Amino acid sequence: MNRYLRLYLQFLKFSFSRSLEYRMDFWFRIVMDCMFYVVELIFFTILYQHTDMLGGWNYDQILIFVSGFLVIDAIHMTVFSNNMWWMPILVNKGDLDYYVVRPVSSLFFLSLRDFAANSFLNLLIASGILCWSILRYPGELETINLIWFLFLIINGAFLHYILQMFFQIPVFWTHTNRGLVTAFFSATKLMERPDMIYSIWTRRILMTVFPALLVIALPSRILFEGPDPLLISWVLGVTACSFLGMRAFWNLALRHYSSASS
Amino acid sequence: MSPSLFFHLVLVEAKKLMSYRVDFWITMVVALVVNLVILWALWEAIFAESGKELIGGWDLNGILAYGVMVFLTGRIVRGGDLQMTVATDIYDGALSRYLLYPRHYPFIKYAQQVGNILPDLFQSLMMGLVAIPLLGISTTADVTPMSLLMAIPSILVAHLLFFLMSLTPQYIAFWADNVWSLSVMLRFVTMLLGGAMLPLTLFPESIQVGLHWLPFSYLFEFPTLVALGKIDLITWFEGICYCLLWSLLIGLLSIPVWRRGDLRYTGVGI
Repeated sequence: MNRYLRLYLQFLKFSFSRSLEYRMDFWFRIVMDCMFYVVELIFFTILYQHTDMLGGWNYDQILIFVSGFLVIDAIHMTVFSNNMWWMPILVNKGDLDYYVVRPVSSLFFLSLRDFAANSFLNLLIASGILCWSILRYPGELETINLIWFLFLIINGAFLHYILQMFFQIPVFWTHTNRGLVTAFFSATKLMERPDMIYSIWTRRILMTVFPALLVIALPSRILFEGPDPLLISWVLGVTACSFLGMRAFWNLALRHYSSASS
Repeated sequence: MSPSLFFHLVLVEAKKLMSYRVDFWITMVVALVVNLVILWALWEAIFAESGKELIGGWDLNGILAYGVMVFLTGRIVRGGDLQMTVATDIYDGALSRYLLYPRHYPFIKYAQQVGNILPDLFQSLMMGLVAIPLLGISTTADVTPMSLLMAIPSILVAHLLFFLMSLTPQYIAFWADNVWSLSVMLRFVTMLLGGAMLPLTLFPESIQVGLHWLPFSYLFEFPTLVALGKIDLITWFEGICYCLLWSLLIGLLSIPVWRRGDLRYTGVGI
């Protein structure tokens, strides 16, 4: 465990020094993500000009829900996004060899080695928006609800990564996974809406087959309605099962990896 | 540029894209299903919870038709990911090859861009055939063969406008090491202010007035309203002219950026 922590600290140092070399891109990416935050907030603000409730949530609640999603997106952009971008390239070029032979988990190395320092600033901004939306909330939010919410946000970011990996790994068998990744990003829009707007069958699918609602919608529900042990167990259980499934899928893919251009 | 050369480049680009068939179908099916699920769920919830029959001048079926149509036309207007190739040409030094051609670089890229939208056009047509019959009859939208015919030139000029808007951020690649973020930013802004995320009639009145004086609405809202039969012939003709005028203006603005950048270009890549 210590070895992995030390390794991750090295990744951080290297990523920070490298991102400061490309100063213009550093700022472009920060502005881009801020623009995304503004667009998301404006979208829901305009919708609430025409309705008081959406999926059972009022405007103050939806602001917390959206801000929570922005934090998850920022964690993803900071910790995983660059690595997800490089993974298919490494597989196709046969460069994965260098990572497979190292004495650490290849999944750990390839998922975490590139930390986006510029997006880290966005993570601070997104966290600020979340704090603001929680502080301006007129109702009372219990501390225990808040603690569960913050914990499940981190779980949501991890689940987001696991789901994306299911769409990335097929690149070991196919020439390109561009279509699958595009499909994943289309499907992530399902996470960005409150769970209760979906019909019961859609909700069941989005809580099991493609557990998009477990990323932020259910954590928000736990924040507003209190920690339901069954719901929390479900969220954590599905995340754990998804992770085990993804790791098995990764190991299977590695066994099929034929080196020098798959 | 001769029309035969233009169409040759269009066909080459379209064939290249069609070769990735599995990707092509996966992207299409998932995008369509997700979009329909979200559109249906979101607007049904809003109409049910607000208790209103009309929102921003649309009934439920009308706004669903708008959502489907803006999704289909928007795919063509944005025309895939070709926008990044301008920056890639600059970074890789591949631009040198184009500078030797006896044709202006943006014209070649535009021909490739048009080739790039042919698969999107095909996909949108297929999706439309599946999705539109699922929608109910609306009192606020009236799709007719005439409105669909009028929509074709509206989409083409909107595509030209989007291409020209994308050029200047791509030319920044002469100075910056990575301009992907700029293209994504342009996409966010145009999607929101162009009506791709929501009909512009849902925006507050004062913002609608401001948006009227900007080019964004011609990208997504205008072609969609034309397809839905909400635009009469005179307004349609005016809209096409305004869109072309904006294209001309934005195209002219990109020329000095290109000239400046061209002077910095070393031809060896970055």
